[in-house]
Amino acid sequence: MTDSEKTAQQVRMCAACPKMCRHVCPTFFAWRSDSPTPHGRALLLHHDNLGLRQLDERAVEVIYQCLECSHCLTWCLPEIDIATIVEDARRILVSQDRFPKGLETIRSSVLSNHNPFCEPHEKRVAKIRFKKTKSADVIYFTGCTAAYREHGIANASIEALKEFGFNVSIPDDEWCCGSPLLRTGFTSEALEQARHNVEILNEMSGETILTTCPGCYRVLTQDYPVNDLRIEKPVMHLSQFLAKHIDKVPKGNLAGGVTFHDPCHLGRHCGVYEEPRLVIERITGESVKEMERSRDNAMCCGNGAGFRTLFSSQAKKIGGERVRQAALTGSRYLITACPFCRNLLASEAGETLEVLDLPELVMTVLRKR
Amino acid sequence: MLDGKTKSGMAERLASIVGSDNVTLLETDAVLNAHDAWPLSEAKIRTGELLPIADVIVFPETAQEVAEILAVASEMEVPVVPVGGGAGTCGGTLPIYGGIQLDLKRMDKILHIDEKSMLVRVQAGVIGIELEEEVNRLGYTTGHTPTSLRASNVGGFIATRSGGSMSSLYGKIEDLTLGLEVVLPNSKIIRMKPMPRHSVGPDLRQLFIGSEGTLGVITEATLRLFPRPELRRFRSMAFPDVHRGLEAIRRIFRDGITPSVVRLYDPEDTAISMSNHFEIQDGDCMLLLAFDGLREIVALDEEKAVKICLEHGAKDYGEGPSKRWWEHRYDMYYPTELTTSGFSIGDTIDIVAPYDKLETVYYSMKAAMEKHDAFVMSHFSHMYQNGGSIYMIFFTSQRDAKTAWEVYKRIWDDGVAACLREGGTMSHQHGVGLSRSTYTEDELGSAFLVLKMIKAILDPIGIMNPGKLGLGVKE
Ligand SMILES: Cc1cc2nc3c(=O)[nH]c(=O)nc-3n(C[C@H](O)[C@H](O)[C@H](O)COP(=O)(O)OP(=O)(O)OC[C@H]3O[C@@H](n4cnc5c(N)ncnc54)[C@H](O)[C@@H]3O)c2cc1C
Ligand code: SF4
Ligand code: SF4
Repeated sequence: MTDSEKTAQQVRMCAACPKMCRHVCPTFFAWRSDSPTPHGRALLLHHDNLGLRQLDERAVEVIYQCLECSHCLTWCLPEIDIATIVEDARRILVSQDRFPKGLETIRSSVLSNHNPFCEPHEKRVAKIRFKKTKSADVIYFTGCTAAYREHGIANASIEALKEFGFNVSIPDDEWCCGSPLLRTGFTSEALEQARHNVEILNEMSGETILTTCPGCYRVLTQDYPVNDLRIEKPVMHLSQFLAKHIDKVPKGNLAGGVTFHDPCHLGRHCGVYEEPRLVIERITGESVKEMERSRDNAMCCGNGAGFRTLFSSQAKKIGGERVRQAALTGSRYLITACPFCRNLLASEAGETLEVLDLPELVMTVLRKR
Repeated sequence: MLDGKTKSGMAERLASIVGSDNVTLLETDAVLNAHDAWPLSEAKIRTGELLPIADVIVFPETAQEVAEILAVASEMEVPVVPVGGGAGTCGGTLPIYGGIQLDLKRMDKILHIDEKSMLVRVQAGVIGIELEEEVNRLGYTTGHTPTSLRASNVGGFIATRSGGSMSSLYGKIEDLTLGLEVVLPNSKIIRMKPMPRHSVGPDLRQLFIGSEGTLGVITEATLRLFPRPELRRFRSMAFPDVHRGLEAIRRIFRDGITPSVVRLYDPEDTAISMSNHFEIQDGDCMLLLAFDGLREIVALDEEKAVKICLEHGAKDYGEGPSKRWWEHRYDMYYPTELTTSGFSIGDTIDIVAPYDKLETVYYSMKAAMEKHDAFVMSHFSHMYQNGGSIYMIFFTSQRDAKTAWEVYKRIWDDGVAACLREGGTMSHQHGVGLSRSTYTEDELGSAFLVLKMIKAILDPIGIMNPGKLGLGVKE
C-alpha cells in the first residue's frame, strides 16, 4: 500500500467515526458545530478523494480551521493523525493557490522580512540585550515571537543562561524558522528560510543550539532533517538544556502554586514533558499542580498553525478556556514553555493568574532572592 | 429541499433571531452536520454515498431563540430536526425531508448546582462529559455513564431515553430527569418543575423523554446528582452457559443486591471481547459485575453475589475482566480496518424483555439474524429486578453496497420481528429514530394510537422531525 493509499484508507475510516475524539478538539469547542472537527475534516477529504465533492471555499476554511494540535491523535485508537493529514491537504491547496487569503500577509512578510509580523528584519534583535561573543557554549535561536513580541522571554533566557555560567551567542542574521509556513502548506517558501538558517547555524561556533520556541524546535529537529537539511550541532529546547544542567539551576522557592501548560509542539509533537516540570520544581521548590488535561492530553492554547491570524475571536475563546482550566488548579502561576502559548494565555489570563514562560519564571525567582 | 429564494429568505429571518454567525446555508456545513452515528449512515459515508442534508442549520443559544425559530418554521411549514450531540445510533438527526437542523450545541451552560437537593440544572446542549466532569469536581456524579458520554448531550440523552452502563443502580435518564423545559411546535415554552415525586395527574415529563424531537425541543433539564461512591469494586464470573448466568443475575436482584454493572456475555461475545486478554474456556459466558457505594455495603453485596454465582456453577475470575472492560469500555466503538473494510456493516439491536421471556427472545433473535449471513454476538446488560436488555450485535460483509444494505435491512426486519413475536421490546436505550421507525406501530400496538393523537395535537402541521419514531412519514 502506498502512503497516499494508506492515508485515503485512514481518512475513510475517520470520516465515519462516531465522533470518538471530538470532545477534545479545540475547534469543536470554539464553534460547537460538527464542521470544524477531526472527523469533519476527514469527511471532506474522503469525498474529495472519491471525486464525490471537491473541496469548496467553506471546505478549505474548515481545513484551515485546524490548529494541528494533534490532541485528537491522543484519543484515537486507530492512531489517525489528522494534523498531518490536514497539513498534507494544505500543501495541495497552496499548490493550487486556494489557501485563505488571510494568510497572504504572513507568507509575504516571511519572504520579505523573515518574520511573520511584518516587522523590519534589521530590528530583529533590537530589543534583545546581549553581548557579541566569539566563542559561545550555546547559540540561542530566538525565533520570531521572542524577538518581536515576547522579547522578555529572550532576555530572560539569556540572563538565566549567563547566570548559570554559559556563554550565549545569537545568530547575526537569523530568519524565521519556517514553522508558520510549513504548518500552513507553504513548503517551498519555508525551505528557503530553512536553508539560510542551516547555513548560518553551521557556520557559527558553539556547542549547542537552543530554542525557546517549540515551533522552532520542532522544525529544526524534525522538518529540516526530513527535507535533507542538516544542522551539525545538537538542537535543544531550553527546558531540555536546563534539565540536563539541573545542578546549575539553584533550588528556589515561590509561593502561590504553579501549574504548567504543555505546548503542543513541545509535548505531543516532540515528546518533551518531563524536562520543563523538572526545572519548574527545582526553581520554585513546589510540585506542579497538574491541570486535569495535561501532558499528551493538554488542551491547545489556540495559537497554532495560522489560526489566530485567521480566526482571532475563536483563538481567544480557546485560550480563555485553557486559562480557566489552569485556574481550577488554584495556582497563582501558569507556566508554559512557548512564546506563542505565553502570548495568547497571558492575553486571556486577567488578574488572578500570572502567565510566565519558563525562562521568565527562572528569572522571577532569581530576582527575588 | 427548498428553492433558493425561500431558503435565503428563511435564513435571513433565522439570522435576525440568532445572528448571522449562527446560521449556515453552506452545503459543506450541511454535509458535515447531516449524520449522527447510525451505522448505516457511517457505512454509506465510507462507500461514498451522499446523505440527505438540511437546507439550513441554525445554532440557537436560548429557549426564546428556539421558540422564535419554531415560529418561523411553523409559518413556513418547514421541517425542523433537533440535533443534540449528533451521536445517536438510529439516524434520528438525518434531515430526510430537508428543512432546518436546529442544533443545540451552543446551549452549553451548566446553570445551577443545588447541593442541598442534589440537583443540577443544565441547558440541553451540555455534552455528557462536560457535565460529569463539572459535578465530579464537587464530589458528585450524575450516575449517567453511556459510552456516548463524550459525544452526546443532555438533550439527546433525554430525547432518546438513553441509559448508562450503570443504569442497574442509578437508573436510566428517565429516572434521572426531574425537571424539564420544552419548546412546543407552537412556540410555547413550557416548564415542568423538578420534583422528587408528585401526584398531579400523569407525569408530563415522560411525554417528552424519548420523544426524539417529534413533539418539541428540549431546551433545559434538571438532573439528579449522587455523591461519588466511596468504593467501586469489580468482579468477574464465568458461567458454562447463558442460562445459568441469567439465573444467577435474577437471584442477585431477587436477594436485594443491586450491582452498578451487570453484563453477561454470550459465548461468541466472550470469545471476541475477552479471550485475547484472559484464559477462558471455549463456550463459557463471562459475567461482569461492579458494586458502588459504602465500603461495608459493597463488601457485603459482593460477597453475596459471588456466593450466588458460585452456586450457579461459575468460575471466579476476580476483578480482571470486569475492570478491564470498564477501563476499555470506549474501545469497541472506534473504527477498525476489519469493521470498515469494503462493504461491511454492523449494528446493535438493544432489545429489552422480562426474565420469563429473555432467553427465548435471545435465541429466537439470534437464529433469525444469523439466517442472513451475519455474525451475531450478544451481551445481556442493564439488568434489573424484573428483566433486562440484550445487546444483539451483528456484523456482515457483502460484495457490494446494494447487497450490504439489503442484508442489513433483512437482519433488522427479522431480528425485530423475532423480538416482538417473543414478547420483547425493540429498544432499551438507543431509541427509534429512522432505523426502527417502521416497526413502531407493531411495537406499541393499540397504544400507538395515543402517540399519534398526541402528535396531532402538539404538532398539527407536522414540522417536528418528520419520519422518525413512526410519526409524520411522508409518501
Ligand atoms: C460510541 C457510542 C456509544 C453509545 N453508547 C450508548 C450507551 O451506552 N447508552 C445509550 O443509551 N446510548 C448510547 N449510544 C447512543 C446515543 O449516543 C444515545 O442514544 C444518545 O442519547 C443520543 O444523544 P445525542 O445528543 O447524540 O443525540 P442526537 O443524535 O443528536 O439526537 C438523537 C435524537 O434526539 C433528538 N434530539 C436531540 N436533542 C434534542 C432536543 N434537545 N430536543 C428534542 N429532540 C432532540 C434528535 O432529533 C434525534 O432524533 C451510543 C452512541 C455511540 C456513538
Ligand atoms: S481522529 Fe480517530 S477518534 Fe478522532 S474522529 Fe478520526 S478516527 Fe475517530
Ligand atoms: S489537530 Fe487539533 S484542531 Fe485539528 S482536528 Fe485534531 S484536535 Fe482538532
